[in-house]
Amino acid sequence: MSGKRYLKHMLPVLLIHLTGMSALILFLTAVGNPVSVGLFVSGVWIAVLIVYSAVCYLARKKRLDRLLDMTEQLEERYLLPEVMDVPKRAEEEVYWRLLKMAGKSMLEKTGEVRREQNEYREYIEQWIHEVKTPVTAMKLLCENNALPCSRELSSQLEQISRLTEQVLYYARSNHAEKDYFIREIRLSDVVHAAIADNRSLLRQNNVSIEAELPDHTVYTDDKWVRFILNQLIGNSIKYHARQPALRFFTVEENGQVLLSVEDNGIGIPQSDLPRIFEKGFTGRNGRTVPSATGIGLYLCRRLCEKLGIGLSAYSNGTGTTMTLSFHINDFITGVQG
Amino acid sequence: MNAYRIMIIEDDVTIQTQLKTLFTGNGYEVCAVTDFSEIIGQVKAFLPHLVLLDIRLPGNSGFDLCSQIRAISDLPIVFVTGSNTDMDELNSIMLGGDAFIIKPYNPAILLARIASLLRRAYPSGKEDVLVWKEAALHLASSSIEYHGQKAELTKNELKILCYLFQHAGTICARNDIVDFLWDNRLYIDDNALSVNMTRIRGKLETIGLTGFIRTKHRQGYIV
Repeated sequence: MSGKRYLKHMLPVLLIHLTGMSALILFLTAVGNPVSVGLFVSGVWIAVLIVYSAVCYLARKKRLDRLLDMTEQLEERYLLPEVMDVPKRAEEEVYWRLLKMAGKSMLEKTGEVRREQNEYREYIEQWIHEVKTPVTAMKLLCENNALPCSRELSSQLEQISRLTEQVLYYARSNHAEKDYFIREIRLSDVVHAAIADNRSLLRQNNVSIEAELPDHTVYTDDKWVRFILNQLIGNSIKYHARQPALRFFTVEENGQVLLSVEDNGIGIPQSDLPRIFEKGFTGRNGRTVPSATGIGLYLCRRLCEKLGIGLSAYSNGTGTTMTLSFHINDFITGVQG
Repeated sequence: MNAYRIMIIEDDVTIQTQLKTLFTGNGYEVCAVTDFSEIIGQVKAFLPHLVLLDIRLPGNSGFDLCSQIRAISDLPIVFVTGSNTDMDELNSIMLGGDAFIIKPYNPAILLARIASLLRRAYPSGKEDVLVWKEAALHLASSSIEYHGQKAELTKNELKILCYLFQHAGTICARNDIVDFLWDNRLYIDDNALSVNMTRIRGKLETIGLTGFIRTKHRQGYIV
C-alpha cells in the first residue's frame, strides 16, 4: 500500500475536515475573535489530524505487509484465510469471510477434478492391463502357427505393445515416485531385454545390432529403463536410413556409467536438437514421418528426471546417439562394502 | 527321459490352450487348470515340476495360491501378469515366486526362463551333451566330437549347431535359426549365418564329418 494511494482514499475525509475548519474560522471571526485565534485552532486541528493519519497509515501498512509476506512464504497460498488472524474491523472481516468461501469452493472444484483424473487414470491403467491379455494370446498364436504373415504380425504386435506402454507410462508419469523399485541391475540384461521386445521389428527392418556390453551394474528401476530403451529403439527404427545399424555401448567416466544407443538413421537437424524432449515437438523429421507424436522422447526425459538418470542427444546429420547416464552410487556400494 | 511337468494356472482360454501347445511342442508334459475352485488339490494330484501362475484369477488371487503352494512344496513358481506394478512384483518375490514375467512376453524368452529355472531346481548332474548320428555336441565345453576327434566352436557356431541338433532330422529354416540366435543374445543377420555355416562345415570336415549338414534349397538346413 503506497502513501499516495492511501491519501487518495482519505481525500473525502480530509475535505470534510477542511470544510469544518473553514467553517470554524468563519464562525470564530464572525463572533468577534481576531483571525489569529481561528488560525491557531486550525493549526492544532491540522497537527492532530496529520499525526493521527500517519499513525493509522503506518499501522495498516505494517499489517498488510505482514500479510503479503506471509502469503509469499506459504506453499499453498489458498490456505491464507486459515493462517491469518481474523480481522477485527467489520469490513475486513467480511472480506476475510469472502476469501474463505472462495477458497473452499475452489478446493471442492479441484478435488472433484482430481478425483475424476484419478479415476480416468486408473481406468487407463486397467485397460492397458486388459489389452495385454489379447496381445499375449496373439503372440503365442503367431509362435505356434507358422503362417506366412506370422513374422509381420509379430512385429505389428511389438509396435502395439510399445504404444500401449507409452500410454501407461504417460498416465503414470505424474505420480511416478510411487512406482519404482530401485535395485541393482545389470545394464546388459536390460539392453538385451529391450532388444528382445523388438526382435521381430528389428529383424523385419534388417537392422544389424551390435551390443557388446561389459558387466556394468547400476542402481535403478529396470522396467523404466527398459521402457526408455524401447522408445529409443522404436525411434531408431522409425527414422532409419539404408542398411540400418544399431549400436549399444557403455563408457564409464567420472563416477558415471554412460549407456549410449547409436544409430545410423536420418539424424536430427541441429536446429531441432535442443527441443526434441519437449512435449509435442516433432520437428523437421516429424513432418516426413507421419506417425510422429512428440510424446516418446518427452516421456523418456520425464522418467529420467524422476529416476535421476541423465539423458542427452547427439546428432551429426548421419545418425543419432542417445546417451543415458547413471550415477554409480558410492554410498550404496560403500555400505555394502 | 521323463518329461518335466508344467502346470498352467491361467484363466484366459486362448492363452491357456496356446501355452499348452507351446509347452507340449517343446517336450513338456502340461496340465492346464480349467476348474479354479480347487486348485491346490489339482496341484497335489498332478505334482508339477513348475507352476505358471497368473495373478488375477477368478475367485482366487495368484498370491494366495502361491503361498498355499509354497506351504506344501518348493517347486519353482513363475508369475505371469499383465499388471506390472511394483507392488505386484514385490508381493510375488515376498511370497516365494521364482520369476515375474510381464505380459506380453516373448514366447521364446518364456521358454528360456522356464528351462533355466527347471535346470536350477532339478540338477541332472550329467553334462549337457547332444548326440546325433554319433556326433556329440558338448554344450559346456563348446566343442563337437566325432570318433574321438574334437573341434572347438565359437559362441555363434555352437548355438547354430545346438539348434540343428535339437531339431535333428527336420528342416530348419534360416529365419528360425536366426530367431533362435537372437533369443540367445547373438544378433547376427542372414549373411553372417551363411558365413558361420561355411565355417562350421569346414570345422566338421577336419574331424571327418563331411556332408553332415545338408542344405535344402529355399528351405533351410537339415542334419
